[in-house]
Amino acid sequence: MIEAKDINHTFLLGKKQNETALQVLTNISFSVAKGDILAITGKSGSGKSALLNIIAGFMKPTSGSVWVKEKNVTNFSEGEFADFRLDNIGFIFQNFQLIPSMTAYENIELPLVLKGLPEKERKERTEQTLEKVGLSNYHQHYPSELSGGQQQRVSIARTLVIEPPIILADEPTGSLDSETEQEVLDLITGLNKDLGITFLMITHDEEVARIASKKIHIHDGEIVKEEVSA
Amino acid sequence: MNFKDQWRFVRSNMKRSKSRIFMTVLATAMGVTFLIVLASVGFGLHSTLIADILQDRSVTQMQISGIENDDGYAPITDEEIAELEKIDGMNAVTRQQRLRQTPRFSIDDYNGSTETVVTHFPSELKAGMELAEGDLPEKSYEVVVGPHFIENIFPKDLPADAEIYDKEGMLNEDYKYDESLVGKEIEMVVEQNVDNEIKEHTITLTITGIVEPPAKNWLQDQQVYISEEVLADVEAFTETSRGAVISEDQPTSGEEVEGYDNVYGYADSLEEIQAIMDDLTEKDYMVYSAASELESLNSVFTIAKAGLIFIGTIAILIASIGIFNTMTMAVTERSSDIGIMKAIGAHPKKIKQIFLLESSYIGLLGAVIGTVVAFVISILLNIGLPRIIESAFGQELPEGFQFSSIPPSLILISVVICLIVTIISGLKPAKRATEIDVLKAMRREM
Ligand SMILES: Nc1ncnc2c1ncn2[C@@H]1O[C@H](COP(=O)(O)OP(=O)(O)OP(=O)(O)O)[C@@H](O)[C@H]1O
Ligand SMILES: [Mg+2]
Repeated sequence: MIEAKDINHTFLLGKKQNETALQVLTNISFSVAKGDILAITGKSGSGKSALLNIIAGFMKPTSGSVWVKEKNVTNFSEGEFADFRLDNIGFIFQNFQLIPSMTAYENIELPLVLKGLPEKERKERTEQTLEKVGLSNYHQHYPSELSGGQQQRVSIARTLVIEPPIILADEPTGSLDSETEQEVLDLITGLNKDLGITFLMITHDEEVARIASKKIHIHDGEIVKEEVSA
Repeated sequence: MNFKDQWRFVRSNMKRSKSRIFMTVLATAMGVTFLIVLASVGFGLHSTLIADILQDRSVTQMQISGIENDDGYAPITDEEIAELEKIDGMNAVTRQQRLRQTPRFSIDDYNGSTETVVTHFPSELKAGMELAEGDLPEKSYEVVVGPHFIENIFPKDLPADAEIYDKEGMLNEDYKYDESLVGKEIEMVVEQNVDNEIKEHTITLTITGIVEPPAKNWLQDQQVYISEEVLADVEAFTETSRGAVISEDQPTSGEEVEGYDNVYGYADSLEEIQAIMDDLTEKDYMVYSAASELESLNSVFTIAKAGLIFIGTIAILIASIGIFNTMTMAVTERSSDIGIMKAIGAHPKKIKQIFLLESSYIGLLGAVIGTVVAFVISILLNIGLPRIIESAFGQELPEGFQFSSIPPSLILISVVICLIVTIISGLKPAKRATEIDVLKAMRREM
């Protein structure tokens, strides 16, 4: 489903971006099969987010290639990647990334609007999804009127509404307390089991990583440990 | 993402910064108003001048006053008429011979004096003359009269102090001949000076029709249109050409005259005028056409209008700085929203479209409001300015004087200029929106 081949990434720092080169990813290769939950763990600053952003297409690797659904997406243009993401990849962010001026309902509906679906279908799917994440009573709430856990559920609902085969999550429970964290983790495992959604999840928390079927540990931009749980 | 949803985005975005959008629309509207009002003066004066030059003449009319020759100039005779009528694109050539005295006409108990001409009816009809009443003459002693002939005859026993005209200059109804003239017998009295004695000669005519009044209602036509035979009758009595009266102080007035007095050519269409004029000038005809005079006037005004529109466009360009600012701020303010949308999968093109739609909408609103205001100002100008000029300089402006005029073409030009300028000024901010880096935009939010 997802394959990273020999990814290297270097940030150029300083003025005119030529002062110093900072290698954050070195020879990263791994693959995720359909229906897997892959957890990427590692210390802060080890390069986890950088790797995820490369797979998501938010930035280009210095070298190496990314394959998603048997397609080499490495050299996709911004527009191509946008269309590809809209159909195939959902996101769960640590800080939710909801649009503050839109209600929960509108935030969740947004991907469907971008897809250009007819209004009736949009309404149906948005309401269904709101129910799925247990927020049926929060249609008209703006993000600022929701708790962190509720916001994260809206964010997950926004991802779910297009039923993507892949979800990328960067510290999905990073800003939640342990109780809400468990709720979100249950939601993720449920989606994985019921809908067969493939997850690629970053965490520095071993507890969270436990729901994964496969784990990669990164240290200083290199994969130092790879394990498949039984 | 369909148009309706983009529109929804634009609306909700605009609602969030109402006062800023309002000021931008206001500036744009002011620019458009300025452009239209400024240029409308050019359009207004132009059409006023055209109307002034054309008066009642039709645009296709050419006045042919003679033909140049070795001893100066010669009047147009039948020979030239035949040549003129053969010219390509010439629709009709009208010609008249003017009687060289003003006969007295009497009908029942009414009489009055008026100009008398011999005209060629077939060509007059071709040139557009129409009868308001009755028919064209068929016999020699039948005539038609101008529409205002009736206002020029008065009761014979009119008292000396009678007020013939009322305050508005209209003929007093009491003195007006109140029957139809068509079919009436009328006596034409011509005179001649024989050995210092005035002799009179009376010719009895029948009115068969009345000519349609000219388009311009202040033009008067009180003429009597007689036939060649009646003219011959008059000439036989006066023994002078065209019935001229001999008098001591004008001994030459009896000289032989030939040719026609009023010769007008009518082109088939306006496009043909210039070619005909060139042709006639080459053949030494002395011609004048309002249309060819209009041509140079038109080119002067076209340049003037273009200049005014150019100056007006500068106002819109200044307003476009506001649009550029507003859009740039909008993009900056919404950059995290844009980042999120892009992360979810919004194509950069869609984002660009949303912002272009917003700037075009501002432009369109400005153009519409600006046009409406310009219309109001134009009307006020046309009402107010003549009054100001009258009271300040004591000078009355001619009737129908139009200071400002807004033809549809001016609105079209202004709206198009406004839209082009606003779209161009919105391009850069819209492009910036597409270039927003997803990661940077999302990071800012943390
Ligand atoms: N835009 C950037 N420009 C330059 N250096 C960057 C940039 N983004 C990240 N880095 C550097 O790359 C390294 C990896 O960062 P990354 O965000 O991937 O870490 P992380 O593993 O996600 O850490 P955390 O657990 O704290 O989120 C860090 O040393 C960071 O300073
Ligand atoms: Mg990180």
